[in-house]
Amino acid sequence: MNGSHSGESALRVTNLVKRYGDFVAVDGVSLDVADGDFFGFLGPNGAGKTTTINAIVGLATLTSGTIEIFGHDIVREWRAARRLVGLAPQEYNFDRYLSIRDVLIYQAGYYGLRGAAVRRRADDLLERFDLHTKAGDTFMRLSGGMKRRLSLARAMIHEPQLLILDEPTAGVDVELRIELWDLLRELNASGTTIILTTHYLEEAESLCRNIAIVEGGKVVAMESTEKLLGRRGSTLHVTLESPIGGLLPASIAARKAAYDATTRTLLFPETSPKAVAAILGDVQAEGFTIEDVNFARSSLQDVFLDLVKH
Amino acid sequence: MSLPLDMWGFNNPVGLVTLTKRELVRTIKVLNQVIWPPIITTILYVLVFGLGLGSQVRAIQGVPYAAFLIPGLIMLQVIDQTYGESSSSLFQGRFMLSIQELLVSPLSAVEIVTGFILAAVVRALVIALLILLVGFVMVHTLPQNWSLFFGMTIVVATLFGAIGIIFGLLAEKFDHIAVFTTFVITPLVFVGGVFTSAKFLPPVVREISFFNPMFYMIDAFRYSFTGRDDVPLGLSLGIVGILTVVSLGVALRMIGMGYKLRV
Repeated sequence: MNGSHSGESALRVTNLVKRYGDFVAVDGVSLDVADGDFFGFLGPNGAGKTTTINAIVGLATLTSGTIEIFGHDIVREWRAARRLVGLAPQEYNFDRYLSIRDVLIYQAGYYGLRGAAVRRRADDLLERFDLHTKAGDTFMRLSGGMKRRLSLARAMIHEPQLLILDEPTAGVDVELRIELWDLLRELNASGTTIILTTHYLEEAESLCRNIAIVEGGKVVAMESTEKLLGRRGSTLHVTLESPIGGLLPASIAARKAAYDATTRTLLFPETSPKAVAAILGDVQAEGFTIEDVNFARSSLQDVFLDLVKH
Repeated sequence: MSLPLDMWGFNNPVGLVTLTKRELVRTIKVLNQVIWPPIITTILYVLVFGLGLGSQVRAIQGVPYAAFLIPGLIMLQVIDQTYGESSSSLFQGRFMLSIQELLVSPLSAVEIVTGFILAAVVRALVIALLILLVGFVMVHTLPQNWSLFFGMTIVVATLFGAIGIIFGLLAEKFDHIAVFTTFVITPLVFVGGVFTSAKFLPPVVREISFFNPMFYMIDAFRYSFTGRDDVPLGLSLGIVGILTVVSLGVALRMIGMGYKLRV
């Protein structure tokens, strides 16, 4: 939680349902994102992430449920709610008739802002995102990375308190991705609440303090990143000198071990010192020679794959 | 399905003006399509029909045929271009997703519709004055009743701006927009009195043209030049007014419920 914030909700989604005919895209999603949070919204393709985001920002109507942004209901107090959100969507939706500088200035205009202050802010953002040399061009003349940055700049032009980024680093090279990460961390540190969807799980793991995972239109997990990673705990890797032929000996199988034949490694879910001592004893008692012992912290990917069954 | 209640309210004047400006920027980017067709077609029509063929025709509504043509040609272009303005802008916005820039912003449906309509009205006034200038140079005709001239230009631009919004939303392909122009607007305008007074039509055709809304628009607009009408001015104004209100209402409702916009 960011120190400068009171801990109220930046976003509260309650029992959101979105139906298209018989198809239920979002099936009772509830989310609570605290002010100042860096929140990951993950799930496989078609899980309902973008539909949920569209409902939050007003690009989709709600079938049922409610959404509040800093306490403003997006239906009843839509103007106040929309002023507080900035969206960088997955698909580019820039105005092709305007220069990228004007894309920012006009977007600010739609939010009711104009004048020298807005022009200055547009120039500042172009500078900050290293787009100032292209200010007079339309977005079609930008490279992929520049388009992503412009998308972020536009989302920020009206100084929203909540930024929603739908796959902001999709199709972006590693160098730029790391640059964007730094930028997002900086923004978050300065008090902007950020909600991020991504397919790069290491991105969510490295940036987000809290994570919700959706599948089939339902939230299957919503916890702090730390807790989520702790769900699986770390793994004990015991590499053997010679391979195991046939089934695992009963004493080892009883410890919920998995065996990776290609690396001759036994994987144990327990890592407490007591358990490790007992496990190593068991392995040696079965007549195996230990070549190496390692601990691996489980990644978000492991947790994700555990939760999201295909 | 619950609808967003962002139908009404003028609360974002800067947003509204920005949208109008954006539409005009778009118009300026396609300026050749805005300025030249009215000028060229007017010159051609006046030369071929007005001065050429028209020299063999006696005065209609008390004016030479070439002068009779001018108001009809203004209506023809105003209708065509205001419909084209809002329908193609909305369709392109949907197609290229740029309409989302408006949809996520705090603009109400009535502000969005007004923004598009204002841009259509500005475009219509420019076109009307351009054709008027060509007409004045070529056949020395000017409106007698300027408020009716401007009033009708604005109302007809509003009507077809609204119809353009409706079809810009209904269209699934760019073709669909052209289909309405080709099969509805152009035929109705052409038989609606651009080229001739209803008095010269055979009785049956004349009866039918009373069901053609374009007939009333052109008749009322021409009144601002000739001071004469084929049907009472009040009737024409009433019909055009009702059509405008209904079209605006439908366009507003569609934008308000996010028809094909907020999916």
